[in-house]
Amino acid sequence: MAKGKRVGTKKGGRSAFSGLSVIASAVLLFMVALPTFITLTVGLLPSLVAFIFDRSAGRTMARCVFGLNFSGVAPYILEVWMQPSQTVGGATQAVFQPLALSIMYGAAGLGWLLYLAMPPIVANVLNLAAQRRVSELRKKQRGLIKTWGDSLIKEVDRSGN
Amino acid sequence: MAEQAEDQEQDVSNGAATGPVMDAPGGGASAPEEPEESPELDGVAINAGGKSVEIGNFRVFLDLRMPEFDMGHCKAYSADNLRREEGSAFALVTDPVLPTRHDHLTFLAGMHMAGQIDLIDYETAYWPPIGRKTMVLFYEKPAGGKVVAREHKKLAIDEHDIATVVVEPLMNAMQAFSEKGLAHRNIRADNLFFADPMREKVVLGDCASGPPGYDQPAVYETTARMSADPAGRGSGNATDDFYALGMTLAELGIGRQPLKKLNDQEIIELKLAKGSFQAIASHEKLPLVLIEPVRGLLCDDPEERWGLAELNAWLDGRRTKPVQANTEKRAARSQNLAGRDYYTVRSLAQGIAKNWVTALGPLRDSTVEVWLRRGLGDNDRAKALSDAMRQLQWAGTDKRSAEDVLVARSILILDPAGPIRFKGFSSMVDGLGFMLSYDVQHGKGPQRFADVIVRDIPSFWFGRQMGYSPEVQRQQQLYKNLRYYIQQQSAGYGYERCLYATVRNQHCLSPLVEEEYVVEIADLLPALEKAAETASEESWPVDRHIAAFIAARLEDDVEGQLLAMQNPSDEVEYSRAIISMLAIVQWRHGPDNLQNLSHWVARLMEPAIKVFHSKARRERVETEIPKLAKRGNLVELYNLINDEQERRKDQSEFVEAVAEYSEAESEVFDLESSGPARMELAEKVGQQAAAFASTMIALLTVSALFLMHIF
Repeated sequence: MAKGKRVGTKKGGRSAFSGLSVIASAVLLFMVALPTFITLTVGLLPSLVAFIFDRSAGRTMARCVFGLNFSGVAPYILEVWMQPSQTVGGATQAVFQPLALSIMYGAAGLGWLLYLAMPPIVANVLNLAAQRRVSELRKKQRGLIKTWGDSLIKEVDRSGN
Repeated sequence: MAEQAEDQEQDVSNGAATGPVMDAPGGGASAPEEPEESPELDGVAINAGGKSVEIGNFRVFLDLRMPEFDMGHCKAYSADNLRREEGSAFALVTDPVLPTRHDHLTFLAGMHMAGQIDLIDYETAYWPPIGRKTMVLFYEKPAGGKVVAREHKKLAIDEHDIATVVVEPLMNAMQAFSEKGLAHRNIRADNLFFADPMREKVVLGDCASGPPGYDQPAVYETTARMSADPAGRGSGNATDDFYALGMTLAELGIGRQPLKKLNDQEIIELKLAKGSFQAIASHEKLPLVLIEPVRGLLCDDPEERWGLAELNAWLDGRRTKPVQANTEKRAARSQNLAGRDYYTVRSLAQGIAKNWVTALGPLRDSTVEVWLRRGLGDNDRAKALSDAMRQLQWAGTDKRSAEDVLVARSILILDPAGPIRFKGFSSMVDGLGFMLSYDVQHGKGPQRFADVIVRDIPSFWFGRQMGYSPEVQRQQQLYKNLRYYIQQQSAGYGYERCLYATVRNQHCLSPLVEEEYVVEIADLLPALEKAAETASEESWPVDRHIAAFIAARLEDDVEGQLLAMQNPSDEVEYSRAIISMLAIVQWRHGPDNLQNLSHWVARLMEPAIKVFHSKARRERVETEIPKLAKRGNLVELYNLINDEQERRKDQSEFVEAVAEYSEAESEVFDLESSGPARMELAEKVGQQAAAFASTMIALLTVSALFLMHIF
């Protein structure tokens, strides 16, 4: 129990450390590069929500949403960075354009769809592989019966009993 | 000729009336029609000399009966020796339901011995009058005819010539038998023949055609053996022959069979009450010259009885030691049983045997024990009886059986030298085999014998024997085997094995081959080959009798096969064991070609083929079987299914296949039953894959944007 508690504490500690480091980075970014901070905060809002609501182990859904969400935000970050004078107004204007919001949030939505679609695909692949193996094994059994006759079945039944 | 034919017809049909308890030859089995009515009998030639059959080197004339050479229960027929011109022979046809004596046949065949009729040869042959095979003995015809002729009342030997004409040659024959460890057991005046036309010497007649002592009148048997059933009188030893010689001399001296007017039971009671010599002397007038040897030879104590030395001394005119005629101790007061008074232990033993049920009372209330102590002063017997009764108290639920054992043991305590008597069964220990044979072939069945063995009565008999005797030791060893055989229920054991183990010349009693009179193992397969022509498809060529016959006669050990035959429901092992047994017999004794039997065996090989698991191997064996069956070789057939290397290979491959099949089955089961787990796994893997893909897309996008910006 003590060990479990220790492990829980360690995990919780790492999570807290990770959260603190994100907050520290955000504060630093807020102080150093406010336009970039605004762009990221607005653009990565779906990921933020996902990270808050996804309580599963490994937070795969949040990771999934974040990956594509970030892909959608990255061009606008680069655009902010490319302006000679990075201003809050410029950044805000660029971010709040409908197309930009659509791209960023749409990418996040695609990430969520990917998260939903992948498990059934994998399940189908696994089922197909299993069916194929079963049919191979049945074929092998038919071959054995052909060679050894009913006595094989009887012997299997007998040894099974 | 017509008279002779009539004589033959009467002799065959009236066979049951002759001899001690003689049945018709063939054991009462329905014989085919008489030869007179059926001229087309197998192997019977009809020529100028009448109907005849060729048996070995002899031609036997069915119409020419020779009643003067009938010996005991066997009938004599005129025979010609086809190989030899000089001399004349006759055929003695044995009763197929009474076993012959193997040791005597092999000892006497082809040998000339003074004092014994010459046995030229013997053959097993089909005998038309009884419609089955039996053993035929060919004897040299004694030139002087029978000593005791039926029609003549006066004997042909003067009482003063008996020593030279009778005793001397008979002593010679008895010595020869004794040196071989055998006893003649058929010495009687009725079985004596003059060897020469001048009638100067006699020879003893047949002794091999039936069980020992079977044809002897009760008066010729010793007090120990006379109360046994005729078939169970036992092989005996030289002292039994000397006793019979004594009675022979008495008959020759008196001119008729002693105590002829009395029946067997009366003779037994008289001899037990007075002693043998006194019984004869009190009823018959013996010639003075014969009183001394008859007294010595009829001594009831075998230790005291005259032997060769005393007879030689008598012949030389020397005095011999005086013999006490009756050594049996007589009680001061009688023991009453079923209304009769008994004064000696032996007579009481016989009385108990005859009154089995009523004897239990005096035994249980210790009347007999008290009589032994006070009337006879025989404390040893009284104590033994008391011990036997104490054992009755320990008997479990089967009280009835324990009481029977008590009565049987009491008889042995009172008469330890006598036969084993058990509820009507009465046989000497050395006559158990012949007794069993008689019972089985005369409708009484093996139950009486089995009862005696199962209740271990012979062990008690052995325990009551005084001193060391190699013969008793040998019998004890044989009995141990019998007990083991009878306790086993499976084929190859049981009473059948006891029968063939104890009676060397017992023919196989299997219904398949019985009429073929198979005595030697070498004749078994030819007989089965013949039986195979008409055998039903479902029947097996080896039944309980044949299995026991093979086990007893074959030189090789077939215990393994018998073990496999214990479980007939295991068809594979059962059929393999049968084929193996027959193959060993063919390998040892031939013949090489047994087509019918091979086809019969081939039909029954279906279960044996199952010994192979592989279908391909089975198909190969199935194709081979008809080919090999055509060649008539059982050994090849057996080898086909018993290729050890191939079998082992088949077995190991089969085991591997079974393992492979089981593994596959198990894997299929796992795959089919792991759906929910797989879905769970798929979800987990899918989510991880999605997260990974998303991360990779982000990295690729950022990398691409950087590259686009740079270039």
